[in-house]
Amino acid sequence: MDQPRIDEDQPLVARAQAGDAAAFDDLVVKYSPRLYGLIYNMTSNHEDTDDMLQDVFAKAYRAIKGFRGKSSFYTWIHTIAVNMTLNFLKKRGRRYHLSLDDVDASIQNDKEFIELTSTTSPVREADLGELQRRLNEAMMKLSDEHRAVVTMFHIQGMPHAEISKILGVSEGTVRSRLFYANRQLQNYLDEFRKNPVG
Amino acid sequence: MDNFDENDIGTLLRLKKFEQPPPGYFENFLHEFHRRQRDELLRQPVWSVLWQRFADSLSRLNIPSLTSYPAAVAAALVCAAVVSLKVYQAPQSPEIAMSDSSELLPRISVLDQMPAERVADRFTLRSPLATRSLGPDLSRSQMNESAYTHRATPPRYVLDRLPVSYEPSFNF
Repeated sequence: MDQPRIDEDQPLVARAQAGDAAAFDDLVVKYSPRLYGLIYNMTSNHEDTDDMLQDVFAKAYRAIKGFRGKSSFYTWIHTIAVNMTLNFLKKRGRRYHLSLDDVDASIQNDKEFIELTSTTSPVREADLGELQRRLNEAMMKLSDEHRAVVTMFHIQGMPHAEISKILGVSEGTVRSRLFYANRQLQNYLDEFRKNPVG
Repeated sequence: MDNFDENDIGTLLRLKKFEQPPPGYFENFLHEFHRRQRDELLRQPVWSVLWQRFADSLSRLNIPSLTSYPAAVAAALVCAAVVSLKVYQAPQSPEIAMSDSSELLPRISVLDQMPAERVADRFTLRSPLATRSLGPDLSRSQMNESAYTHRATPPRYVLDRLPVSYEPSFNF
């Protein structure tokens, strides 16, 4: 859970609000990988993610003077990213294609990656590439709101409280969506285990 | 064969963080961001750019925080209205005083221009000022003439800057 407890970005934000473009660049460099992961796992498409991420930072740049610090910059920029992505997904509808299905081959030597894939038997037994592809498909079967919660909790590692602030819903709603989404993903992957061809 | 439980789902989903964009993507991202910002600025019409700058200058003045206090704004407007009313209704007293004093000066200086012996002749103990003629320079006809001159226009009154009641009562 690597979100900041106090707003460590405040000095950079204050400089950016005063018109220091270099300070805003530092914020872009700091948050672009994390926001990329968030948007990509909601859209499952690289080109869309690239466009969305540019739009998110452009909007943040225009709005940063109005940022009053009621939440941390981390929460604020994630809220912009999630809301813009949800709006985009509503417009896009069900027209999508997965563009980053496969895990990068070089990552398979990563220590954390090896640890993750060797701990649980169903994951170890299955063809990892195929499993990932199925998982992405299962993710896209979830509603946009459920996918957002799954992405933030499981992939980004955010706590329930932070997710509830970003989405503007109660923690109970977050837990409920997460429970439902996990159940859906489980059912879909179990189906795949039973019928690998389908 | 085990079924997937919640932990397995979590493990699989955490693997997705290894899905990354092509190498060098984040290095180029900032350059692309700057390029798009420039393009967007060039595409904006002039009035939009000017309006944005005007809004920026207002935000530096923190106008919204001022307008969030309607009572203070209303009080400021009332004060401004009262002050402006007073300015428009104020009499032109300084100009009247100056014009009157300039008219009086030549008559006072008549005595200064008289030879000393004549002045002494006119103002003696035997002939008090009240019973003596003021002479040709300050004759009744001239006084009347000056009085008629003043009566040609409506009478004007020169008031002191402070009312009498404002003067200290014990002025030694």
